[in-house]
Amino acid sequence: MNWINRSIARTGKLAAAIGFAGVLVAALPVRANTALVATYQGHMLRFTHVASRSGVAAIGVGDPAFQTLLRETGSFLTWKPGERYILITTSAPTVVSFALGDRRYDVGPIALQAALAPYVQGDEAYLPLRELLRSLDLALREDGAVAVLQPQLASLDVHQEGVRTTVLAHGGALLHARVVTESGTAITYAFDGVGTTLNGTREIGTGGVASIAISESGTVREPITLVSVTLQSGAIPESPQNADGRDVLLAFDGAQEAPYASEAPAEASPTPEPEPPQAAAGTAPAVVTSVSAAPSADGMSVVIALSGNATYEWHRLRDPDNRFWVDISGAQLQGPPIDQQGQEPILSIRVRQNDPTTVRVALSLNGPKAIVVTPSASGLGIAVGSTDVADAPRLGSGSIGTVAAAAAPSIPAPSAPEEESAWKFAPHSGYVATNPRLIVIDPGHGGSDRGTIHGGVAEAALALDMARRLRTILVARGWQVKLTHDSDVDVYQPNDSPHDELQARVDIANTAGARLFVSIHANAYVNSGPYGTTFYVSKPGDAALARAIETRMTNDGTKDDGIVKSHMYVTFHTRMPAVLIETAFLSNPSDYELLTSSAWRQKVAEEMAEGIAEYAQEYPVANQPAQ
Amino acid sequence: MQTRSIVLAVLVAVVAGATWYYLSHRSTATGETLAVYYTKLDGATLGVMRVSLRPREPGESSAERLHNVALYGAVEALAGPPSDVQAIRFPPGTRVASVSVDGSTATVDLSNEVTQQAGGAFGENGEFKALVYTLTGITGIDAVQILVQGNRLETLPGGHLELDQPLHRADW
Repeated sequence: MNWINRSIARTGKLAAAIGFAGVLVAALPVRANTALVATYQGHMLRFTHVASRSGVAAIGVGDPAFQTLLRETGSFLTWKPGERYILITTSAPTVVSFALGDRRYDVGPIALQAALAPYVQGDEAYLPLRELLRSLDLALREDGAVAVLQPQLASLDVHQEGVRTTVLAHGGALLHARVVTESGTAITYAFDGVGTTLNGTREIGTGGVASIAISESGTVREPITLVSVTLQSGAIPESPQNADGRDVLLAFDGAQEAPYASEAPAEASPTPEPEPPQAAAGTAPAVVTSVSAAPSADGMSVVIALSGNATYEWHRLRDPDNRFWVDISGAQLQGPPIDQQGQEPILSIRVRQNDPTTVRVALSLNGPKAIVVTPSASGLGIAVGSTDVADAPRLGSGSIGTVAAAAAPSIPAPSAPEEESAWKFAPHSGYVATNPRLIVIDPGHGGSDRGTIHGGVAEAALALDMARRLRTILVARGWQVKLTHDSDVDVYQPNDSPHDELQARVDIANTAGARLFVSIHANAYVNSGPYGTTFYVSKPGDAALARAIETRMTNDGTKDDGIVKSHMYVTFHTRMPAVLIETAFLSNPSDYELLTSSAWRQKVAEEMAEGIAEYAQEYPVANQPAQ
Repeated sequence: MQTRSIVLAVLVAVVAGATWYYLSHRSTATGETLAVYYTKLDGATLGVMRVSLRPREPGESSAERLHNVALYGAVEALAGPPSDVQAIRFPPGTRVASVSVDGSTATVDLSNEVTQQAGGAFGENGEFKALVYTLTGITGIDAVQILVQGNRLETLPGGHLELDQPLHRADW
């Protein structure tokens, strides 16, 4: 949704900008191989690889000032001589694609026409100047005789979520929204240092926002863009948030009585005028007694409980607008409307009496999820999967209740998940452990490889500690246990290659003919957001072991990120069932507290041991310890 | 009679030529798209965004076409979705140095920034899953070999994912 809106905004803006910049470029003293001097963010840039073809200015990608401009705008260019495509990745990030000899250029998903096709002169590709600047969210303006590269407020993405509206502003420079005036009915933000070609007023009309007007003031060198938001009655603006340097998020909470009908855009909803309820004809209307949502094995399950008979019709919008709703005709909603946040993959759930005989249950999803709608005698089940599907069916209908339950309703089957992958290798049942009592535990990293380090705490030390705790418990249960390293050292040799180090660990387990292999790690990411426990597997035989341990580790203070198949070296190359457990994120403050608590590490070790015992019971082999 | 035959032959040739032109350029009108995948912050599920592909140029051989689409796909996958979309992203500054296609294997040479991982399996798994899914979504490509600064690595430094052989969708 945001992507689309941004692109549309860009397209409109581009049309205006091309005309405007065209006049300016024509007016500037640009001739073949002359310099173009322009000020940018207070300093001068002297472009020397400037050329003109058919009166259209072009710039060589090797121009030192252009390279500086790319760096300062957080962009980079992918091209080398011999390549046809010239690609620029902007800070948005958006990929702008040019091709030699083709006037078409693409800004993200949108195709546009440039005034000039890129060409090669010598060993250098030349790109049309004004389109290039547009793609960097800059405009070439003139201040007297001086050319100015002016950062632009490039796009405003308006996104409605029920009664809330968010507006994401994106610019060609660091953005800061300053509140200039605020009353109960309107609020005006100033963005200092950016100009715009988005001037004008857009009617919004829902989600607390009546309209948004954009205008420009200030000077060419010190422009100010003003964004004035006229509020609907009762709407409350939230404080502007800097999403990242070039983005600012403005949010508005509309009054709760905002018309729900706006939830389904008229042109997207083929729902006809309410029809007389067929199943309920001549009988008392059915009653929706409750709507509940609960996590399922693969996503969320929503259950609509209904007494009586009714018909239903469901619709979903096309990705990226992932809204789904089902209208239950001939039904009354018992109790007040429901409007609550969901749990992934459901973002929100709303239940309303849409008209006197129709109850609408609307879900907002975080992607084009697989949805299966199943009617029964007592209601309707909606299973929302966690995987995205391509070309999912967009509508269906059927009957609920005792009268119609016998008749099979026509429900389009969801298409197979696009990302479902087949196992690449034969099932692992062929492996026979020559030492069925032995479990190899691999503390992740160690020695010269510290793993991830946060707050002075190294993953290697935590992993070794958890591995030793697990060993103690397993030995007490009758297992033989071998650690790939029992002190904080490299397994192969210090400062060895990752291959030698990981292969040495794999060799220990494979050579010993171990029953199981468990690699213990702590996770990390570049920001503190992600948290939870992840179980990485590679071979078909790994999943059952991972699942047995996962089942025991669900209530240990962080969340369960599930079993993830990947090409991890140690799980891929060990011959026995293996799992690599990323116990929690050192980069997340809450997970960090857990990882650095010895009580938590002991608890996790016990849970792993429980899971291993459960696995051994379920998949017993001869001569294993009694569980 | 002979004149009529010649006119007819020319007419047939023109119709055939026009039909060929129409059929061979039909995909242009409908607009081919490329699915660019990104891994969501749950570390496993994929999101997808579609970008349009420019039509094949006259004189662009099918091998060059495959190379160009693969290069575009790799650059798009490294860029990822707009910043307001939550996604696992390659370390800042990671670039595509080059892409080549040999048989059905695309080789993607990445800049050294890719080695600046946070340390966990989370990032590298999500990053490479998205890149491999994007490239193997291109007809004619079913495997992706990763290079870093022109060299084949066994894993990233301190890493977990095996990179010294081509990756496939089936690895995930």
